[in-house]
Amino acid sequence: MNRIDPNLTRDLRKFGIRDWNDCYHCGTCTATCPLTAQGFLFPRKEIRLMQMGLKGPISTSVEPWLCYYCGECSERCPRKANPGELMMSLRRYLTSLYDWTGLSGKFYTSKIWELGFIIFFALLVILAFILILPPLDTTLTDQGGVKINSFAPPDLVEYFDWAMAFLVASLLVSNIFRMYLRVIWTGTKQRISLVEHVREFWHLVFNFSVQPKFSKCEDRSYWLYHWLLMSGYTIMFILIVVFLPWFQTENIFPAWHPQRVLGYYATIGLLVGLGAAIIGRIRKKEIKFEFSHVSDWLFLIMLSLTVITGILIHIFRVNGMPWATYISYIAHMAILVPMILIEVPFSKWSHLAYRPFAVYFARLKKSTMHQSR
Amino acid sequence: MINSHTKGIILDKTSENGGAGVNYDALFHNFRNYSQVSNIWILENTDNGSISRITADLFDHPVEQLIIAGNTPGFVKGYFEGAMKASGRSVSDIRLVSFQEFGLFRQEDTAMVQALIDCAVKGVSFEMAASQGDLEMTTDTLVIGGGIAGIQAALELADGQVHVYLVEKSGTIGGKMAGFDKTFPTLDCAACILTPKMVEVNQHPNITLMTYCEVLDIWGVPGNYTVSVLKKARRVNLSTCIGCGTCSEKCPATAFSEFDAGTCLRKSIYIPFPQAVPNKYLIDEESCIYLKTGKCRACVKACPVPNCINLDELDETVKLKVGNIIVATGFKPFDAARMPQFGYGKFPNVVTALEFERLLNAAGSTGGNIHFRSKDKKDNWVFNTSTAKPDRLAIIHCVGSRDENYNKYCSRVCCMYSLKFAHLIREKLPQAEVHEFYIDMRAFGKGYEEFYQRIRNEEIHMIRGKTAKIDASGEHLLLRGEHIETNQLIELEVDMVILATGLEPGEDTEQLCHLLGLKVGRDGWFTEMNSNTDPTGTATGGIYIAGACQGPKDIPDSVAQGSAAAARVIQNILRGKVAIGFQNLTPESIVNQANELAMIR
Repeated sequence: MNRIDPNLTRDLRKFGIRDWNDCYHCGTCTATCPLTAQGFLFPRKEIRLMQMGLKGPISTSVEPWLCYYCGECSERCPRKANPGELMMSLRRYLTSLYDWTGLSGKFYTSKIWELGFIIFFALLVILAFILILPPLDTTLTDQGGVKINSFAPPDLVEYFDWAMAFLVASLLVSNIFRMYLRVIWTGTKQRISLVEHVREFWHLVFNFSVQPKFSKCEDRSYWLYHWLLMSGYTIMFILIVVFLPWFQTENIFPAWHPQRVLGYYATIGLLVGLGAAIIGRIRKKEIKFEFSHVSDWLFLIMLSLTVITGILIHIFRVNGMPWATYISYIAHMAILVPMILIEVPFSKWSHLAYRPFAVYFARLKKSTMHQSR
Repeated sequence: MINSHTKGIILDKTSENGGAGVNYDALFHNFRNYSQVSNIWILENTDNGSISRITADLFDHPVEQLIIAGNTPGFVKGYFEGAMKASGRSVSDIRLVSFQEFGLFRQEDTAMVQALIDCAVKGVSFEMAASQGDLEMTTDTLVIGGGIAGIQAALELADGQVHVYLVEKSGTIGGKMAGFDKTFPTLDCAACILTPKMVEVNQHPNITLMTYCEVLDIWGVPGNYTVSVLKKARRVNLSTCIGCGTCSEKCPATAFSEFDAGTCLRKSIYIPFPQAVPNKYLIDEESCIYLKTGKCRACVKACPVPNCINLDELDETVKLKVGNIIVATGFKPFDAARMPQFGYGKFPNVVTALEFERLLNAAGSTGGNIHFRSKDKKDNWVFNTSTAKPDRLAIIHCVGSRDENYNKYCSRVCCMYSLKFAHLIREKLPQAEVHEFYIDMRAFGKGYEEFYQRIRNEEIHMIRGKTAKIDASGEHLLLRGEHIETNQLIELEVDMVILATGLEPGEDTEQLCHLLGLKVGRDGWFTEMNSNTDPTGTATGGIYIAGACQGPKDIPDSVAQGSAAAARVIQNILRGKVAIGFQNLTPESIVNQANELAMIR
């Protein structure tokens, strides 16, 4: 039994939705969408749910995550109702529903909470460095590089990385479990066998690594930009969390060494992806970039700053500038830590898990549809 | 002052769509200093804060009368009814002043809007204050446009012993209606209704029919206009042509037939259609070989009447003296190629409504049979009976209408003619499947809903949901849409798609508005004097509008407006005088007149 929630309007508006009453249900958006499929129709159906105030079906729907916001629906919409942006706002709303801590909703709807959180953790990181900092070694290595490992011992940093990764992952995994409960347990009437879960699992891995759905949008260049950004970040993440002693070395390897090649690839991928997104959001030429929520900008700015400080560390270290290297390192961590803490489990970056899991859950749902026929 | 009540004015800005509209700040500063006005507000939006600020003021300082002025003030009236009642007044003490009603919505209209509100403050009707300066007039009347509205107006006037000049741009009168097969909702034969009227126009002693002519310039004052009309060279003598068609048979040049909406070819010397009025040939400059190369003259050689065809005839200009002008220039169909998703122009069997009308029409190139479009020997895409017939057809509603990217308005007629199409397809191709893709079915007129209900039961697939795109699928067309009612994605293979193209203002609307001293409305149509109470009058005296040039309209409404505009002209003629119209008055003179009227009360 679905109840109408008269407060849904008020709640949704906080997540960037302007007005959904413009829609007159012609179905142009759904039929234009290259990603919609029988059984998982969007965006019109979602707009209908919003108009009717049906919070239940919205909270169990997986469709918003299947939309990659190419903006074709908004371009064709005869009412200029911006269905693409409504889907984007729904993803923010759903992120806040999945999050059991309630912080996600706070971050999305309050700038004070979001900025306060970032500043608090940035100061905490700086304070920690000042408190536990060993005496600074400003002498250089034989190759003329900075002795970075004496400033930030890799094994110590790696322990910290593991702790961070564990914290963020456990938050994210618990939220994904809540998403699973909503979408599969509440959202489908039939139970799905374990065999089915295993059989469809490769969709999760495949969609996480390639984002094949994104490439179905008319303009494929953004799939490439996004993939460069994602693969760049993933490589950097693995290097830092798993292989830090190998990656953070005082020895300056030749440029063709895998350590540097991987690092450079990741940096370029991140810069290209970030550049495309930032330029797009500034130019506002495409509909998908026309509306930017605070959280969209904050994510881009923080990730850019992380990349820039990372590049600076490398330049200063190789060129033997110890003070500059150490300050960049602290700045790098002061941006990176709050970014990971806020973005991955609570905000925009959580889509790295929700999107591929949504595809997986959609596959599971689809298997029940076949059975019921 | 007699009206010394305290009045409040709310300037309702909520219905402004941004841009350079009426200057509300100037109005605010002007009326703030009025002695009768005790309070004035600008309403920016309808959130709780803005409304309660005004209602609180109304409680504290009750007003005798509340004037709400704006484009569509009726929308916000409800917010203030309670406050008026609570402060001891009644709902009838709220007076609405709509700018849009008088076609006033530009920044330069601010002074006139001020006069409009001024009249309301003084309790005087703006129409009365603006009706002044009666001018002497001549009785001859000009009707521009020979479609059904113009024909109706001309006949009404001529039957009332008024001499009428009927100026028509094309080679025949009849307009768009002449090309239709059937009319909705009665499924009467359109030609059977129209052609007797066309013949009557041609034979009426009080009508001077000027086809293939265009209005070049208009000057003078209401009641005494001088109109310069361009008589385009027809190159065939109207009085001696016997309409035998020998010239056309011999003519070697061809062009797409305008009358047939480009569905077939005609010769360079042609009559638009067999029942054309006047039933005389004319030469199309663009395609005539002689006019391009100086060689040919096949028609002259073939013509049995000496000196009937004069290939070297030149355009000439004539001047007409008229007292009143009725504008009935109609509409142009929406250009479907502007919506690339439907592939019009790319797929030969995606056709527009007017093209399909010609396919259905027994006098069309396929003799009323529905066939595919194919290439003829000279590689022209035409319809003829040599091709097969479609088995599955789809009709897409609202093409170019109700769409913020093209035209925001509803074109009014498309739903009904689409239903008519569905019925006629079922009649002509009983085995064929017909799918209607619609957003909302707008069956608004007398007998229209009944027509819809009847057609629904004729085994037609009614699908709620406009399609989004058409792709090729082998020999066929693949439609992709959403079936809103069953919540399903539809991919449908069909043989032919009919786009229910909407109505747009004619190409000459802006130019003609300029000549007549009128302003084009928001959507590009002619602006009437008052959309509710004076739909055929304009802001200029002696100038009236009728038919689809005022806004999308079906045949019955166009005919009604044609008669109504004629009645307005006859009213002037019986009075012997014509009002000047507020467009030619200064706002000050309207205010002065309002003052006088207020004194009389």
